[in-house]
Amino acid sequence: MKLIRTVKVKNDLGLHTRPATVIVKMLQSYKSSVHFTYKKDIINARSIMSILMLALRKNASIQITVEGDDAEETISALVNAFENQFWEKL
Amino acid sequence: MYSVQNLFEQYGKELDLNLVAGQTGMTRSIKKPEVHRPGLSLAGYKKSLPTNRILVFGKVEISYIRELPKEERLERLKWVITPSTPAVIIARKYRPPTEIVQLCAKHKIPLFRASHTATTLLSKITFLLMEEFSPSVTMHGTLVEVFGVGVLIQGESSVGKSEAALGLLERGHRLISDDVVKVKKREGAYLVGSGPELTRHLMEIRGIGIINVAHLYGAVCVRPDKGLDIAIKLEEWDDRHFYDRVGLEEKFCDILGISVPFHILPVKPGRDVVLLIETIALNHRLKDMGYHSAKEFNVKLLEAIAHRQKRKKIHEADPYR
Repeated sequence: MKLIRTVKVKNDLGLHTRPATVIVKMLQSYKSSVHFTYKKDIINARSIMSILMLALRKNASIQITVEGDDAEETISALVNAFENQFWEKL
Repeated sequence: MYSVQNLFEQYGKELDLNLVAGQTGMTRSIKKPEVHRPGLSLAGYKKSLPTNRILVFGKVEISYIRELPKEERLERLKWVITPSTPAVIIARKYRPPTEIVQLCAKHKIPLFRASHTATTLLSKITFLLMEEFSPSVTMHGTLVEVFGVGVLIQGESSVGKSEAALGLLERGHRLISDDVVKVKKREGAYLVGSGPELTRHLMEIRGIGIINVAHLYGAVCVRPDKGLDIAIKLEEWDDRHFYDRVGLEEKFCDILGISVPFHILPVKPGRDVVLLIETIALNHRLKDMGYHSAKEFNVKLLEAIAHRQKRKKIHEADPYR
């Protein structure tokens, strides 16, 4: 199954190292392949360096593409994390 | 979309561009990676004038315009400078004729002055634009230079790409980029890989974190970019899969329409991945030099078989055996 959703970065500092770590850590428990699309770049969301390379600022919107058996659970967990600012307290 | 603003910001200093008029048109997009000297069109030849190229006015164009009667200048320039011209550049720091300034302001076309000659500008801008317009793709993998061969190591996350790269660095090879590789097709014929500016020469190693290889191992261990010669896919050993045992058949993978020699390298405890990658790279160099170990051996083998058959035939035909 392939699912595509668009999300916005809500953290004030943008998507920096800590939130990126949260994403990578979260994805470890899912099997689907996850890709982020931002402007022209398509990157593998399991790689922390790839996420950091995008240097996403606040309000940047990215497209999440999830493909695999547990796509639904994966995408809802990811969207939830973006919504809750990766549980980062500022 | 690549705009005049992008060109100015990125290469304005290198090309020594000074904006004279048409500031409001900086957002104009450059649609073709081509630059044009409008000499012939200025002289009155109207056919097949390329309209969406950057125009460069050199010594000849400027002196020709100056020699034209005033009333004719604007007429001639109107053919050349159209609303779809992305930008106009005057070479050798000539003062732009007022008609050009007027036209550029009217159509909101950025007008620049540069100190270089028209020929230098033509070749420099064409080269830079070709670079910007060449097709590119962001790939998940690690690019290293091993014995001068550009090797792209691919594979699933946590299969050991970064660890393999670290091992290679330790043996004196070079890292171009870890995890993210931007691959560009140059001149439609070959591939060049580089790392994104922000994460250049950084590596993420499980259990250690982010390290800067250039600082740890020194400048000798890194390179900004490198031609991509072969791709290696690391994967966990699968007993059901039949891995290449002789190497007679060569596999290729397609990157931006170019076929790149491709190897699948199974990983399991006891297999020294670093040594294996080094061997693949060396073998690739040998093949490039015209020696193919597997094919050469096959020829020798066939010769030996043929020789034996011949001997057997002679032996059988011998009436006194």
